[in-house]
Amino acid sequence: MSAPAFVRFWGTRGSIPTPGHKTRRFGGNTSCVEIRVGDVELVCDGGTGLRELGLDLAKRGRPKLEAHFFFSHMHWDHIQGFPFFVPAYGPESELFVYETSAGDDRVQKLLHGQMSSEYFPVAFGDLGARITARHFERATVELGSIRVRCLEQRHPGRSFAYAFELGGKKIVYATDSELDLLLENREESLADLDAVRRLPRELLAFVEGADLLIADGQYTDEEYPRKVGWGHARANTVADLAQQAGVKQCAVFHHDPMHSDELVDQKIQSACERLDRQGARTLLFGAREGLELKF
Amino acid sequence: MSKSHEPDSDATISGDVSIVAGLPPSRKLPTLEQVRGPGAPRRIALALNETVVGRGTQANVTIDSALLSRRHVVFRRSGPELALSDLESANGVYVNGVKAHFAVLHEGDTIQVGDVVFVLHEAPE
Repeated sequence: MSAPAFVRFWGTRGSIPTPGHKTRRFGGNTSCVEIRVGDVELVCDGGTGLRELGLDLAKRGRPKLEAHFFFSHMHWDHIQGFPFFVPAYGPESELFVYETSAGDDRVQKLLHGQMSSEYFPVAFGDLGARITARHFERATVELGSIRVRCLEQRHPGRSFAYAFELGGKKIVYATDSELDLLLENREESLADLDAVRRLPRELLAFVEGADLLIADGQYTDEEYPRKVGWGHARANTVADLAQQAGVKQCAVFHHDPMHSDELVDQKIQSACERLDRQGARTLLFGAREGLELKF
Repeated sequence: MSKSHEPDSDATISGDVSIVAGLPPSRKLPTLEQVRGPGAPRRIALALNETVVGRGTQANVTIDSALLSRRHVVFRRSGPELALSDLESANGVYVNGVKAHFAVLHEGDTIQVGDVVFVLHEAPE
């Protein structure tokens, strides 16, 4: 029997950290999700939540850490935790950062760049860990029995979704994607909010049958028309994606920094009601810091 | 004393007070309000750093339900934070309807184990 996978949310907020009592439940740290399978650590994005993950890994007391980093893209809210990731300073740590195409060095370059002395006192080259770049080949990487695929998304500067297939389970991390620009019936979806939003076949195939889909659903339907082109999706569109792709559980992610816990609750409630009206069997919820699921 | 010498009731009285830098940490305890299942309704104060809920006598809080494992779920306090962990129970732990292996908890969270439902209160009402 294969080892179970544990998925933990360390940062679920979009754009900028939002500490304070209004965001306590869903959390104020920016994007970071840990997928743990046996001794293998898979880390999706390095937003400010990564700092908390690093502290927790240090507490777990493993003699040697091997962690694999998959960045959706390199906007601030997805990389700012990296210089504060305690295991990066330990010579016993081995970190792998994944570039999405052969010969690409964008991830390494930008991780270096954000630690130049204008921004940060410690240089990337002074980190104690062994940090190695790896590349996807034909949009796929194999890590032992774990298969990871990537898919380019619609986001300013582009971003990538990752599908992790492990022990018969499938977990998809798909943040910072403006699904609404991909809709086959985009105009209709803006004019008639109740109309089912038709997602492109390639995306549906990538997500199909996921045990867990973690997807950017930053906006409400009412907010989105003022934010077109900013690179984020309506939560109700995520609901339609989950339903059409036969997803079992869907965690709406990358909550808007202007949203209090109560507003996130309302956004999630709306998406759940939409799924109910469609007779969907998907369980949809708002991703929140400190929640760990087992698969 | 003539009336003109009585203090004006709206006036602030000047005087020495001792200035307090800080009070000891609150002794308030988080509480599980059991709203469904055997034994409900009742309130369970989480006075221990670790409180195990289950069907067996090894649990700190024993609930007579066949749907619970002997040691089903543990609630751990760490400073101001309260979290739960599923103790590899047969039927799982649900936080606000989501099956959770671990969860940091907040006021008003609904926690379900078998046929038992709790609502968490971070401090007494």
